[in-house]
Amino acid sequence: MPQLEILDLKAAYNRQPVLENITLSVEKGEIVSLIGPSGSGKSTLLRVLIGLLPPIAGQVHLDGERIDYGDKRTLRALRDRLAIVFQQYNLFQNMTALQNVTIAPTKVKKRPAREVEEEAKTLLSKVGLADKFDAYPDELSGGQQQRVAIARALALKPEILLLDEVTSALDPELVNEVLDAIRLLAAEGMTMFIVSHEMGFVRELSSKVAFMADGHIVEFGPPARIFDRPEMARTRDFVSKILRH
Amino acid sequence: MSYTLQFGQVTGYLPYLAGGAWISLQIAFLAFCGGMVIGLFGAMAKTFGNRPLNRVVSGYVTFFMNTPQLVQIYFIYFALPDAGILLTSYEAVLIGMTLNAGAYLTEIQRAGFESVHRNEMEAAETLGMSLMQRVRYVVLPHIARVLFPPLSNQYILMTLGTSMAAIFGVEELTGRAFNVNAETFRSIEVFSLTAGLYIIVTLIATLILGLFGRYMFRAKMRLY
Ligand SMILES: Nc1ncnc2c1ncn2[C@@H]1O[C@H](COP(=O)(O)OP(=O)(O)OP(=O)(O)O)[C@@H](O)[C@H]1O
Ligand SMILES: [Mg+2]
Repeated sequence: MPQLEILDLKAAYNRQPVLENITLSVEKGEIVSLIGPSGSGKSTLLRVLIGLLPPIAGQVHLDGERIDYGDKRTLRALRDRLAIVFQQYNLFQNMTALQNVTIAPTKVKKRPAREVEEEAKTLLSKVGLADKFDAYPDELSGGQQQRVAIARALALKPEILLLDEVTSALDPELVNEVLDAIRLLAAEGMTMFIVSHEMGFVRELSSKVAFMADGHIVEFGPPARIFDRPEMARTRDFVSKILRH
Repeated sequence: MSYTLQFGQVTGYLPYLAGGAWISLQIAFLAFCGGMVIGLFGAMAKTFGNRPLNRVVSGYVTFFMNTPQLVQIYFIYFALPDAGILLTSYEAVLIGMTLNAGAYLTEIQRAGFESVHRNEMEAAETLGMSLMQRVRYVVLPHIARVLFPPLSNQYILMTLGTSMAAIFGVEELTGRAFNVNAETFRSIEVFSLTAGLYIIVTLIATLILGLFGRYMFRAKMRLY
Protein backbone atom coordinates (compact mmCIF):
# COMPACT_ATOMS: atom_id res chain seq x y z
CA MET A 1 0.00 0.00 0.00
CA PRO A 2 1.37 3.45 -0.90
CA GLN A 3 2.02 5.76 2.04
CA LEU A 4 0.40 8.68 0.28
CA GLU A 5 -1.97 8.37 -2.61
CA ILE A 6 -3.49 11.24 -4.53
CA LEU A 7 -6.50 10.47 -6.71
CA ASP A 8 -7.89 12.77 -9.35
CA LEU A 9 -7.29 15.82 -7.19
CA LYS A 10 -8.61 19.20 -8.22
CA ALA A 11 -7.98 22.59 -6.62
CA ALA A 12 -8.82 26.19 -7.45
CA TYR A 13 -8.12 29.74 -6.36
CA ASN A 14 -11.29 31.81 -6.50
CA ARG A 15 -13.02 29.31 -8.78
CA GLN A 16 -10.05 29.45 -11.16
CA PRO A 17 -8.81 25.86 -11.43
CA VAL A 18 -5.07 25.53 -10.81
CA LEU A 19 -4.80 21.77 -10.35
CA GLU A 20 -6.69 19.13 -12.31
CA ASN A 21 -6.60 15.34 -12.52
CA ILE A 22 -3.67 15.07 -10.17
CA THR A 23 -3.03 11.40 -9.52
CA LEU A 24 0.14 10.01 -8.02
CA SER A 25 1.33 7.81 -5.23
CA VAL A 26 4.38 7.59 -3.00
CA GLU A 27 5.74 4.64 -1.11
CA LYS A 28 7.34 5.07 2.26
CA GLY A 29 10.89 6.37 1.97
CA GLU A 30 10.48 7.51 -1.61
CA ILE A 31 11.37 10.94 -2.84
CA VAL A 32 9.03 12.47 -5.38
CA SER A 33 10.26 15.54 -7.20
CA LEU A 34 7.87 17.99 -8.77
CA ILE A 35 9.30 19.85 -11.71
CA GLY A 36 7.71 22.10 -14.28
CA PRO A 37 7.48 25.69 -15.48
CA SER A 38 6.56 28.56 -13.23
CA GLY A 39 2.84 28.68 -12.48
CA SER A 40 2.30 25.01 -13.26
CA GLY A 41 0.89 24.35 -9.79
CA LYS A 42 3.77 22.73 -7.91
CA SER A 43 3.48 24.91 -4.82
CA THR A 44 -0.28 24.66 -4.95
CA LEU A 45 -0.09 20.87 -4.82
CA LEU A 46 2.03 21.05 -1.65
CA ARG A 47 -0.37 23.60 -0.14
CA VAL A 48 -3.29 21.31 -0.83
CA LEU A 49 -1.52 18.32 0.71
CA ILE A 50 -0.78 20.16 3.96
CA GLY A 51 -4.29 21.56 4.15
CA LEU A 52 -3.72 25.24 3.42
CA LEU A 53 -5.96 25.07 0.35
CA PRO A 54 -8.88 22.64 0.52
CA PRO A 55 -9.25 20.60 -2.68
CA ILE A 56 -12.54 20.94 -4.54
CA ALA A 57 -12.54 17.37 -5.81
CA GLY A 58 -10.56 14.17 -5.61
CA GLN A 59 -9.05 12.29 -2.72
CA VAL A 60 -5.86 12.01 -0.74
CA HIS A 61 -5.18 8.83 1.20
CA LEU A 62 -2.60 8.58 3.93
CA ASP A 63 -1.76 4.95 4.75
CA GLY A 64 -4.96 3.98 3.04
CA GLU A 65 -7.12 6.36 5.03
CA ARG A 66 -8.91 9.16 3.27
CA ILE A 67 -8.10 12.66 4.52
CA ASP A 68 -11.07 14.92 5.12
CA TYR A 69 -9.62 18.39 4.57
CA GLY A 70 -12.77 20.05 5.88
CA ASP A 71 -12.41 18.56 9.33
CA LYS A 72 -10.32 20.38 11.91
CA ARG A 73 -9.41 17.31 13.91
CA THR A 74 -8.30 15.41 10.83
CA LEU A 75 -6.23 18.40 9.79
CA ARG A 76 -4.49 18.45 13.14
CA ALA A 77 -3.74 14.76 12.86
CA LEU A 78 -2.51 15.30 9.32
CA ARG A 79 -0.12 18.04 10.39
CA ASP A 80 1.26 15.64 12.95
CA ARG A 81 2.48 13.51 10.11
CA LEU A 82 3.23 15.98 7.33
CA ALA A 83 5.48 19.00 7.52
CA ILE A 84 6.30 21.65 4.97
CA VAL A 85 9.30 23.87 4.39
CA PHE A 86 8.36 26.97 2.47
CA GLN A 87 10.37 28.64 -0.21
CA GLN A 88 10.58 31.86 1.80
CA TYR A 89 11.56 30.12 5.07
CA ASN A 90 8.62 31.76 6.92
CA LEU A 91 10.47 31.69 10.21
CA PHE A 92 8.95 33.41 13.21
CA GLN A 93 10.85 36.67 13.28
CA ASN A 94 10.32 37.22 16.97
CA MET A 95 11.95 33.94 17.97
CA THR A 96 15.53 32.74 18.00
CA ALA A 97 16.55 29.83 15.82
CA LEU A 98 16.15 27.51 18.79
CA GLN A 99 12.73 28.89 19.74
CA ASN A 100 11.56 28.52 16.14
CA VAL A 101 12.34 24.85 16.39
CA THR A 102 10.98 24.22 19.89
CA ILE A 103 7.72 26.16 19.72
CA ALA A 104 5.56 23.53 18.01
CA PRO A 105 6.75 20.49 19.97
CA THR A 106 6.29 22.30 23.29
CA LYS A 107 3.11 24.25 22.60
CA VAL A 108 1.30 22.03 20.13
CA LYS A 109 2.48 18.61 21.28
CA LYS A 110 2.88 19.73 24.91
CA ARG A 111 6.12 17.86 25.29
CA PRO A 112 8.54 18.68 28.13
CA ALA A 113 10.65 21.74 27.34
CA ARG A 114 14.00 20.25 28.39
CA GLU A 115 13.71 17.21 26.21
CA VAL A 116 12.45 19.23 23.22
CA GLU A 117 15.31 21.67 23.60
CA GLU A 118 17.90 18.91 23.58
CA GLU A 119 16.38 17.46 20.44
CA ALA A 120 16.18 20.88 18.81
CA LYS A 121 19.85 21.51 19.50
CA THR A 122 20.72 18.16 17.98
CA LEU A 123 18.64 18.96 14.91
CA LEU A 124 20.16 22.40 14.47
CA SER A 125 23.63 20.96 14.88
CA LYS A 126 22.83 18.34 12.29
CA VAL A 127 22.08 21.06 9.74
CA GLY A 128 25.27 22.87 10.67
CA LEU A 129 23.90 25.55 12.96
CA ALA A 130 25.40 24.52 16.28
CA ASP A 131 26.65 28.05 16.87
CA LYS A 132 23.41 29.82 15.95
CA PHE A 133 20.92 28.66 18.57
CA ASP A 134 20.31 32.15 19.91
CA ALA A 135 20.39 34.07 16.64
CA TYR A 136 17.23 35.72 15.38
CA PRO A 137 16.19 35.15 11.76
CA ASP A 138 17.24 38.65 10.75
CA GLU A 139 20.72 37.85 11.99
CA LEU A 140 21.02 34.76 9.78
CA SER A 141 21.86 34.34 6.11
CA GLY A 142 19.27 32.94 3.72
CA GLY A 143 20.84 29.49 3.73
CA GLN A 144 21.00 29.46 7.51
CA GLN A 145 17.35 30.52 7.79
CA GLN A 146 16.36 27.84 5.33
CA ARG A 147 18.12 25.23 7.44
CA VAL A 148 16.39 26.49 10.57
CA ALA A 149 13.12 26.06 8.69
CA ILE A 150 14.08 22.48 7.87
CA ALA A 151 14.97 21.79 11.50
CA ARG A 152 11.67 23.33 12.58
CA ALA A 153 9.75 21.02 10.27
CA LEU A 154 11.73 17.98 11.45
CA ALA A 155 11.19 18.77 15.13
CA LEU A 156 7.65 17.47 14.79
CA LYS A 157 9.01 14.17 13.54
CA PRO A 158 6.95 14.10 10.39
CA GLU A 159 6.60 10.99 8.29
CA ILE A 160 6.44 13.01 5.10
CA LEU A 161 8.31 16.21 4.39
CA LEU A 162 7.24 18.72 1.74
CA LEU A 163 10.01 20.97 0.45
CA ASP A 164 9.08 23.89 -1.77
CA GLU A 165 12.02 25.20 -3.78
CA VAL A 166 14.12 25.33 -0.69
CA THR A 167 17.17 26.46 -2.61
CA SER A 168 15.78 28.91 -5.13
CA ALA A 169 16.11 31.97 -2.92
CA LEU A 170 19.71 31.16 -2.06
CA ASP A 171 23.03 32.26 -3.43
CA PRO A 172 24.72 29.44 -5.35
CA GLU A 173 27.33 28.93 -2.66
CA LEU A 174 24.61 28.42 -0.06
CA VAL A 175 22.66 25.92 -2.12
CA ASN A 176 24.94 23.06 -1.24
CA GLU A 177 24.54 23.57 2.49
CA VAL A 178 20.81 23.02 2.14
CA LEU A 179 21.09 20.20 -0.37
CA ASP A 180 23.47 18.40 1.98
CA ALA A 181 20.89 18.64 4.73
CA ILE A 182 18.30 17.08 2.43
CA ARG A 183 20.66 14.31 1.34
CA LEU A 184 21.09 13.44 4.99
CA LEU A 185 17.34 13.10 5.41
CA ALA A 186 17.07 11.00 2.27
CA ALA A 187 19.68 8.67 3.65
CA GLU A 188 17.55 8.26 6.76
CA GLY A 189 14.58 7.15 4.71
CA MET A 190 12.29 10.14 5.06
CA THR A 191 9.48 10.31 2.52
CA MET A 192 9.72 13.62 0.69
CA PHE A 193 8.02 15.76 -1.91
CA ILE A 194 10.56 18.11 -3.38
CA VAL A 195 9.84 21.01 -5.69
CA SER A 196 13.14 21.93 -7.24
CA HIS A 197 14.87 23.50 -10.17
CA GLU A 198 18.16 21.82 -9.31
CA MET A 199 17.95 19.15 -11.98
CA GLY A 200 21.17 17.43 -11.03
CA PHE A 201 19.92 17.11 -7.50
CA VAL A 202 16.48 15.93 -8.61
CA ARG A 203 18.03 13.28 -10.76
CA GLU A 204 20.41 12.10 -8.08
CA LEU A 205 17.89 11.79 -5.26
CA SER A 206 14.42 11.21 -6.68
CA SER A 207 12.67 7.90 -6.74
CA LYS A 208 10.09 9.41 -9.07
CA VAL A 209 9.68 12.67 -10.91
CA ALA A 210 6.40 14.36 -11.79
CA PHE A 211 6.56 16.86 -14.61
CA MET A 212 3.75 19.36 -14.20
CA ALA A 213 2.36 21.92 -16.62
CA ASP A 214 -0.81 24.03 -16.50
CA GLY A 215 -2.07 22.33 -13.37
CA HIS A 216 -1.71 18.82 -14.76
CA ILE A 217 0.79 16.07 -14.26
CA VAL A 218 2.05 15.59 -17.77
CA GLU A 219 4.36 12.72 -17.01
CA PHE A 220 5.24 10.73 -13.92
CA GLY A 221 8.01 8.17 -13.61
CA PRO A 222 11.53 7.36 -12.51
CA PRO A 223 14.07 10.13 -13.17
CA ALA A 224 15.94 8.14 -15.80
CA ARG A 225 12.79 7.92 -17.88
CA ILE A 226 11.68 11.53 -17.41
CA PHE A 227 15.09 12.93 -18.21
CA ASP A 228 16.41 10.48 -20.80
CA ARG A 229 13.36 8.97 -22.49
CA PRO A 230 10.39 11.27 -21.91
CA GLU A 231 7.24 10.10 -23.67
CA MET A 232 5.47 13.42 -23.96
CA ALA A 233 6.61 16.23 -26.22
CA ARG A 234 6.09 18.84 -23.48
CA THR A 235 8.32 16.96 -21.10
CA ARG A 236 10.99 16.59 -23.73
CA ASP A 237 10.79 20.33 -24.41
CA PHE A 238 11.08 21.31 -20.79
CA VAL A 239 13.82 18.85 -19.98
CA SER A 240 15.94 19.74 -22.97
CA LYS A 241 15.58 23.43 -22.22
CA ILE A 242 16.42 23.13 -18.57
CA LEU A 243 19.30 20.70 -19.04
CA ARG A 244 20.90 22.94 -21.58
CA HIS A 245 21.45 25.57 -18.90
CA MET B 1 3.55 95.28 30.75
CA SER B 2 5.69 94.38 33.65
CA TYR B 3 5.25 91.10 35.40
CA THR B 4 7.75 89.92 37.94
CA LEU B 5 8.08 86.19 38.11
CA GLN B 6 7.70 85.04 41.66
CA PHE B 7 8.22 81.30 41.75
CA GLY B 8 8.75 81.50 45.49
CA GLN B 9 5.01 81.72 46.00
CA VAL B 10 4.26 78.52 44.14
CA THR B 11 7.20 76.23 44.82
CA GLY B 12 5.60 75.27 48.11
CA TYR B 13 2.84 73.67 46.07
CA LEU B 14 5.26 71.43 44.23
CA PRO B 15 4.53 68.27 46.26
CA TYR B 16 0.79 68.92 45.83
CA LEU B 17 1.24 69.26 42.06
CA ALA B 18 3.48 66.21 41.90
CA GLY B 19 0.72 64.27 43.64
CA GLY B 20 -1.58 65.44 40.85
CA ALA B 21 0.90 64.24 38.27
CA TRP B 22 0.80 60.84 39.93
CA ILE B 23 -2.99 60.75 39.52
CA SER B 24 -2.61 61.75 35.86
CA LEU B 25 -0.25 58.83 35.39
CA GLN B 26 -2.70 56.49 37.05
CA ILE B 27 -5.58 57.54 34.82
CA ALA B 28 -3.44 57.25 31.70
CA PHE B 29 -2.12 53.86 32.75
CA LEU B 30 -5.49 52.37 33.62
CA ALA B 31 -7.20 53.76 30.51
CA PHE B 32 -4.35 52.53 28.35
CA CYS B 33 -4.47 49.02 29.78
CA GLY B 34 -8.24 48.86 29.43
CA GLY B 35 -7.97 50.26 25.93
CA MET B 36 -5.34 47.69 24.99
CA VAL B 37 -7.63 44.86 26.01
CA ILE B 38 -10.59 46.33 24.13
CA GLY B 39 -8.30 47.03 21.21
CA LEU B 40 -6.98 43.47 21.14
CA PHE B 41 -10.46 41.97 20.98
CA GLY B 42 -11.57 44.67 18.55
CA ALA B 43 -8.64 43.95 16.27
CA MET B 44 -9.23 40.21 16.47
CA ALA B 45 -12.91 40.72 15.66
CA LYS B 46 -12.07 42.93 12.70
CA THR B 47 -9.44 40.55 11.38
CA PHE B 48 -10.98 37.16 11.99
CA GLY B 49 -14.60 37.93 12.90
CA ASN B 50 -17.71 37.51 10.82
CA ARG B 51 -19.61 40.32 9.16
CA PRO B 52 -22.04 41.36 11.95
CA LEU B 53 -19.24 41.40 14.53
CA ASN B 54 -17.14 43.42 12.15
CA ARG B 55 -19.96 45.96 11.79
CA VAL B 56 -20.41 46.36 15.52
CA VAL B 57 -16.71 46.93 16.09
CA SER B 58 -16.47 49.32 13.14
CA GLY B 59 -19.42 51.29 14.51
CA TYR B 60 -17.74 51.60 17.88
CA VAL B 61 -14.44 52.65 16.37
CA THR B 62 -16.03 55.15 14.00
CA PHE B 63 -18.05 56.75 16.79
CA PHE B 64 -15.13 57.17 19.18
CA MET B 65 -12.63 58.26 16.57
CA ASN B 66 -14.92 60.86 15.06
CA THR B 67 -16.30 62.65 18.09
CA PRO B 68 -14.34 64.81 20.53
CA GLN B 69 -13.20 62.98 23.61
CA LEU B 70 -14.55 65.77 25.78
CA VAL B 71 -18.02 65.23 24.36
CA GLN B 72 -17.72 61.49 24.92
CA ILE B 73 -16.86 61.99 28.58
CA TYR B 74 -19.65 64.54 29.02
CA PHE B 75 -22.00 62.03 27.55
CA ILE B 76 -20.89 59.33 29.97
CA TYR B 77 -20.86 61.69 32.93
CA PHE B 78 -24.31 63.14 32.33
CA ALA B 79 -26.17 60.48 30.37
CA LEU B 80 -25.33 57.34 32.34
CA PRO B 81 -26.77 58.63 35.64
CA ASP B 82 -30.09 58.94 33.82
CA ALA B 83 -29.81 55.25 33.10
CA GLY B 84 -29.36 54.65 36.81
CA ILE B 85 -25.57 54.34 36.73
CA LEU B 86 -24.02 56.84 39.09
CA LEU B 87 -20.43 57.68 38.43
CA THR B 88 -17.89 59.85 40.16
CA SER B 89 -16.15 62.27 37.85
CA TYR B 90 -12.99 60.16 38.16
CA GLU B 91 -14.85 57.05 37.03
CA ALA B 92 -16.55 58.86 34.17
CA VAL B 93 -13.24 60.21 32.92
CA LEU B 94 -11.61 56.83 33.26
CA ILE B 95 -14.40 55.03 31.40
CA GLY B 96 -14.50 57.68 28.71
CA MET B 97 -10.77 57.62 28.17
CA THR B 98 -10.72 53.84 28.17
CA LEU B 99 -13.42 53.57 25.53
CA ASN B 100 -11.76 56.26 23.46
CA ALA B 101 -8.38 54.55 23.74
CA GLY B 102 -10.04 51.23 22.88
CA ALA B 103 -11.12 52.64 19.52
CA TYR B 104 -7.70 54.01 18.62
CA LEU B 105 -5.93 50.92 19.89
CA THR B 106 -8.27 48.69 17.88
CA GLU B 107 -7.13 50.45 14.75
CA ILE B 108 -3.45 50.41 15.70
CA GLN B 109 -3.52 46.74 16.61
CA ARG B 110 -5.53 45.81 13.54
CA ALA B 111 -2.80 47.33 11.42
CA GLY B 112 -0.41 45.15 13.39
CA PHE B 113 -2.49 42.04 12.73
CA GLU B 114 -2.48 42.82 9.05
CA SER B 115 1.24 43.42 8.97
CA VAL B 116 1.95 39.94 10.30
CA HIS B 117 3.30 38.13 7.34
CA ARG B 118 0.72 35.75 5.99
CA ASN B 119 3.71 33.47 5.62
CA GLU B 120 4.32 33.29 9.34
CA MET B 121 0.66 32.61 10.03
CA GLU B 122 0.61 29.83 7.47
CA ALA B 123 3.78 28.34 8.89
CA ALA B 124 2.17 28.38 12.34
CA GLU B 125 -0.92 26.74 10.94
CA THR B 126 1.01 23.96 9.26
CA LEU B 127 2.85 23.35 12.52
CA GLY B 128 -0.53 22.57 14.02
CA MET B 129 -1.09 25.72 16.09
CA SER B 130 -4.67 26.66 16.90
CA LEU B 131 -5.95 30.16 16.18
CA MET B 132 -5.44 31.19 19.80
CA GLN B 133 -1.90 29.83 19.76
CA ARG B 134 -1.17 31.66 16.55
CA VAL B 135 -2.39 34.91 18.07
CA ARG B 136 -0.50 34.29 21.28
CA TYR B 137 2.85 33.19 19.85
CA VAL B 138 3.00 34.83 16.43
CA VAL B 139 0.68 37.82 16.21
CA LEU B 140 1.12 39.35 19.65
CA PRO B 141 4.93 39.26 19.75
CA HIS B 142 4.97 40.68 16.25
CA ILE B 143 2.56 43.41 17.22
CA ALA B 144 4.53 44.14 20.35
CA ARG B 145 7.62 44.57 18.24
CA VAL B 146 6.35 46.64 15.34
CA LEU B 147 3.65 48.43 17.26
CA PHE B 148 5.66 49.25 20.32
CA PRO B 149 6.69 52.70 19.04
CA PRO B 150 3.17 53.80 17.94
CA LEU B 151 1.70 52.32 21.10
CA SER B 152 4.15 54.27 23.26
CA ASN B 153 3.21 57.41 21.38
CA GLN B 154 -0.43 56.71 22.04
CA TYR B 155 0.40 56.23 25.70
CA ILE B 156 2.19 59.60 25.88
CA LEU B 157 -0.71 61.31 24.12
CA MET B 158 -3.08 59.78 26.62
CA THR B 159 -0.97 60.97 29.53
CA LEU B 160 -1.31 64.51 28.23
CA GLY B 161 -4.98 63.92 27.45
CA THR B 162 -5.70 63.27 31.11
CA SER B 163 -5.65 67.05 31.64
CA MET B 164 -9.20 66.96 30.34
CA ALA B 165 -10.20 65.43 33.64
CA ALA B 166 -9.73 68.83 35.24
CA ILE B 167 -12.90 70.04 33.54
CA PHE B 168 -14.82 67.43 35.50
CA GLY B 169 -13.19 68.42 38.74
CA VAL B 170 -10.79 65.51 38.99
CA GLU B 171 -7.74 66.65 40.92
CA GLU B 172 -5.02 65.42 38.66
CA LEU B 173 -2.15 67.63 37.64
CA THR B 174 -4.10 70.20 35.64
CA GLY B 175 -6.94 70.19 38.14
CA ARG B 176 -4.54 70.90 40.96
CA ALA B 177 -2.86 73.58 38.88
CA PHE B 178 -6.25 75.29 38.62
CA ASN B 179 -6.55 75.13 42.40
CA VAL B 180 -3.11 76.58 43.04
CA ASN B 181 -3.76 79.28 40.50
CA ALA B 182 -7.00 80.23 42.23
CA GLU B 183 -5.16 80.59 45.51
CA THR B 184 -2.04 82.37 44.36
CA PHE B 185 -3.05 84.16 41.15
CA ARG B 186 0.49 83.45 39.88
CA SER B 187 -0.78 81.98 36.61
CA ILE B 188 2.44 82.06 34.62
CA GLU B 189 4.46 80.49 37.41
CA VAL B 190 1.83 77.85 38.16
CA PHE B 191 1.34 76.80 34.58
CA SER B 192 5.00 76.82 33.64
CA LEU B 193 5.66 74.65 36.65
CA THR B 194 2.80 72.41 35.56
CA ALA B 195 4.10 72.22 32.01
CA GLY B 196 7.50 71.32 33.41
CA LEU B 197 5.97 68.49 35.39
CA TYR B 198 4.17 67.17 32.31
CA ILE B 199 7.45 67.24 30.39
CA ILE B 200 9.25 65.37 33.16
CA VAL B 201 6.48 62.80 33.40
CA THR B 202 6.37 62.14 29.65
CA LEU B 203 10.15 62.09 29.28
CA ILE B 204 10.43 59.52 32.03
CA ALA B 205 7.63 57.50 30.47
CA THR B 206 9.27 57.69 27.04
CA LEU B 207 12.59 56.58 28.45
CA ILE B 208 11.13 53.69 30.41
CA LEU B 209 8.99 52.57 27.48
CA GLY B 210 11.93 52.84 25.11
CA LEU B 211 14.23 50.76 27.29
CA PHE B 212 11.47 48.25 27.93
CA GLY B 213 10.69 47.95 24.21
CA ARG B 214 14.32 47.51 23.29
CA TYR B 215 14.90 44.92 25.92
CA MET B 216 11.64 42.98 25.66
CA PHE B 217 10.75 43.17 22.01
CA ARG B 218 13.91 44.18 20.24
CA ALA B 219 11.88 47.18 19.07
CA LYS B 220 14.02 49.76 17.37
CA MET B 221 13.16 52.81 19.40
CA ARG B 222 14.57 56.24 19.77
CA LEU B 223 15.71 57.07 23.26
CA TYR B 224 16.13 60.71 24.16
N1 LIG C 1 -2.94 32.91 -3.64
C1 LIG C 1 -3.26 32.76 -4.94
N2 LIG C 1 -4.40 33.30 -5.43
C2 LIG C 1 -4.74 33.14 -6.71
N3 LIG C 1 -4.03 32.45 -7.61
C3 LIG C 1 -2.89 31.88 -7.20
C4 LIG C 1 -2.45 32.00 -5.84
N4 LIG C 1 -1.28 31.32 -5.71
C5 LIG C 1 -1.01 30.81 -6.94
N5 LIG C 1 -1.98 31.13 -7.83
C6 LIG C 1 -2.01 30.72 -9.23
O1 LIG C 1 -2.02 29.31 -9.29
C7 LIG C 1 -1.21 28.86 -10.35
C8 LIG C 1 -0.20 27.85 -9.82
O2 LIG C 1 0.68 28.54 -8.94
P1 LIG C 1 1.81 27.81 -8.14
O3 LIG C 1 2.34 28.78 -7.15
O4 LIG C 1 1.31 26.53 -7.61
O5 LIG C 1 2.87 27.54 -9.28
P2 LIG C 1 4.32 26.94 -9.16
O6 LIG C 1 4.36 25.77 -10.07
O7 LIG C 1 4.68 26.72 -7.74
O8 LIG C 1 5.18 28.10 -9.79
P3 LIG C 1 6.65 28.62 -9.37
O9 LIG C 1 7.63 27.69 -10.00
O10 LIG C 1 6.71 29.98 -9.98
O11 LIG C 1 6.71 28.65 -7.88
C9 LIG C 1 -0.59 30.08 -10.98
O12 LIG C 1 -1.30 30.36 -12.15
C10 LIG C 1 -0.78 31.15 -9.98
O13 LIG C 1 -0.99 32.37 -10.62
MG1 LIG D 1 6.02 27.64 -6.40
